[in-house]
Amino acid sequence: MIDLAANFLWMFLVVIGGVLISWSVHFVPVGGAPAAMAQATGIGTGTVQLAAGAGLTGLISAGYMMQVVDNLPLILASGTVGAMIMISVTMIVGTWVYVYGVGCVPSSAKVKVDPITHDRQDLYVSQGTEGHGLPTVSFVSGVIGGALGGFGGSLVYYALLKVGMGVAEVDANMIGLVAIFAVGIFFVNAVIPSYNIGGTIEGFHDPKWKKWPKAVISSFVATIFCAIVAVIAILQLGGL
Amino acid sequence: MSAGGDGGGAKSNLPPNTIIGIGAAGGLIGIYLAHFLPATFSFFGGIAAICAIVWGADAVRRVASYGLGTGVPSIGMIALGMGIVAALFGLSIGGVAGPIVSFITAAVIGAIIGVLANKVIGMGIPIMERAMVEIAGAGTLAIIGLSTVIAGTFEYGAVLDTVVSTGFIAMIFIMGGMGILHPFNANLGPDEKQDRTLILGVEKGALAMVIAGLASSINEGLGPAFVTILVGLTIWYLAFNKYFGFVKRDAYAVVGTGLLPSEEELQ
Amino acid sequence: MEPLIGMGVLALMGVAATIAGASEDLESDVGSQSNPNSQVQLAPQMMFPHRIYNKAVSGEPPSNALMCAIGATGAAVLMGEFNLSPLFALVIGALIAACVHGTYAMTSTMGRAASQSRFKQPVYLDMIRSHTPVIMAYAFITTFCVLIISYMMNVVLGHPFPLPLLAFIWGITIGAIGSSTGDVHYGAEREFQQFEFGSGLNASNSGNIVRFAESGLRNGYDNSWFCAKFGGPVTGIAFGMTVFLGSWITTVFDPAVSITRGWLSAVAGIIIVFILIIWNRKIEVAARNNYGPYKEDKPEEEAAA
Repeated sequence: MIDLAANFLWMFLVVIGGVLISWSVHFVPVGGAPAAMAQATGIGTGTVQLAAGAGLTGLISAGYMMQVVDNLPLILASGTVGAMIMISVTMIVGTWVYVYGVGCVPSSAKVKVDPITHDRQDLYVSQGTEGHGLPTVSFVSGVIGGALGGFGGSLVYYALLKVGMGVAEVDANMIGLVAIFAVGIFFVNAVIPSYNIGGTIEGFHDPKWKKWPKAVISSFVATIFCAIVAVIAILQLGGL
Repeated sequence: MSAGGDGGGAKSNLPPNTIIGIGAAGGLIGIYLAHFLPATFSFFGGIAAICAIVWGADAVRRVASYGLGTGVPSIGMIALGMGIVAALFGLSIGGVAGPIVSFITAAVIGAIIGVLANKVIGMGIPIMERAMVEIAGAGTLAIIGLSTVIAGTFEYGAVLDTVVSTGFIAMIFIMGGMGILHPFNANLGPDEKQDRTLILGVEKGALAMVIAGLASSINEGLGPAFVTILVGLTIWYLAFNKYFGFVKRDAYAVVGTGLLPSEEELQ
Repeated sequence: MEPLIGMGVLALMGVAATIAGASEDLESDVGSQSNPNSQVQLAPQMMFPHRIYNKAVSGEPPSNALMCAIGATGAAVLMGEFNLSPLFALVIGALIAACVHGTYAMTSTMGRAASQSRFKQPVYLDMIRSHTPVIMAYAFITTFCVLIISYMMNVVLGHPFPLPLLAFIWGITIGAIGSSTGDVHYGAEREFQQFEFGSGLNASNSGNIVRFAESGLRNGYDNSWFCAKFGGPVTGIAFGMTVFLGSWITTVFDPAVSITRGWLSAVAGIIIVFILIIWNRKIEVAARNNYGPYKEDKPEEEAAA
């Protein structure tokens, strides 16, 4: 009854989703603990946390959409948009705090000019810090990261739910199982890249960003195993 | 069987292998006892979870002292991410051997991620592979243990009906994860002591047991739930007092109130 | 669903989210949690022992997810087993979660202080006794409001995820938002008020947190008093906006009516994101013009580089 070959497409989509989540984390501008003291550019929190916050918000949107329609592009779009909204709201409010509450100018210490706006950055970095706040390039990078994370998370959820639909009626058991698998796979793929970038990154202009193939390869391999295991567990729903 | 409870306090320096023994054997035995004995004894699942959590906390302690580059919590999250997939997989195909299948699956996935972290990402932590195996295994046993408390059995269908579809699995996910990562995180510092960290694992595991006991009342009725909560609260009380005792032993000073240490004292 | 009911539910969820966000941030300020706490942790090592709570309950997302998942579990049990009314069940669930959070907070502050004995950081029991109830109270408000949001999504909007799972995910989200926004106000401004405003934290001042208050020694109450003026409310706005806008687009453009409506909801979301990008750029430019460059531009150095 365990028919992995028939579910190859869905497993492939799960792996793609995992890889996208892993890649997305490289775009999210997080400065870790120093950023919370306006000592480094980016959002003052951990990579895993912010990526998970955005991606799982997207999962909520996608889960709701999947309840109403069965249209893959639309479900993916709603997950993407849900995560994008969460991360851009977080970043704009972060900018309020940095500019109005702390009095810093958003600036990056990794590049001399912002690649998008071509504004000089180094003149606005205050003494003894590695930049602070969210210059436009980091903000845009964060939006891309949120979008990829939400897209990847929704893809995992959709593909796993499709596997379940192949063997049984959709019920609370299946939705609970698939959702918790999606959360688990999300966490695995959010932590691997955060070890790759050492916890902090400014966005796609950061030199560390070029290290992404390492994390993506690792996530690819790890997600293959998670996908096989998850698909087999879901297929067992048919035998109950 | 409060093996986990005694484990931490007896000696100040327990070797890793002893703790692996307590965690793996205690965890599996507890899960099987909870499965085969009547519902009243499902609290053994909670004791299994405590053993597993203590083991996980010790593994986190060993690996996180190398510095992960990001917070300690990340390793708990990846452990439970792997653990949840492996746990449900093992229960789905393993039948009566379910927990063992889950455990082995988790160890395999943990080994793969550990190798990837060192070889591909290049973290360069010598015990990364081993620690990942241990943490994933401990996380899986904690999940199955707490699930068994709620379902009274680890049969796949029953776990799905009572733990997964009700969403309690999310509570188990985070309580198991926090139980594993919190002890070391809460005791982080140069004067961290193993016994203090591990007894905190017992305390957090007991809390997880209490909440799982509460959740089990839906499926198992009030009697067994009451037993689980009572056993959990007793272990929690003992462990908390023991922990407070260790704090008093290790701290520079435990004072009712007072000013900051003076300049001369700091010299 | 009737559009009016949908709008009403949405408004209530937005309000609950705003309160939850504000209390989440103040909870992490009064206890000092997450990234700014790294400085509280560092201070004794730099010869600055202090009387500030050291609530190292992991990052905020896992700790809030923990509270919310426990609260939802309690509420689900009370509603399922005892047929309690949702309002009571959510309150009692949140109470259980607050108690569990209290033990996490106490064990972490005692443990961290005990692990710094070589730096002579004492454990102040009166500080723990006075701050823990406040932390639990804020945790109660946060959990209760998140449970309201999750319950409404689950029961009224018909979201397929079970209550504890929804509460878990919203807990991760509120923690991520709280540690990204309001905490910066605490970490970059309140902890280092003795240094010039707007300078960020010079790395050489790390660990030199403010330890003395207007009168006596500074504690967590002073920190939450300050952050309640700006950091807390904006965190509330952030979480409120996330919940409200995320659901607003599908309430106004209901995908259940037609696929086109569903696509319109996605387009509306993307327009919102673009507006926020432009807004960020406006603030950035205004800050650059008003605060001015901190260094002189030296062309000769540029040429040399």
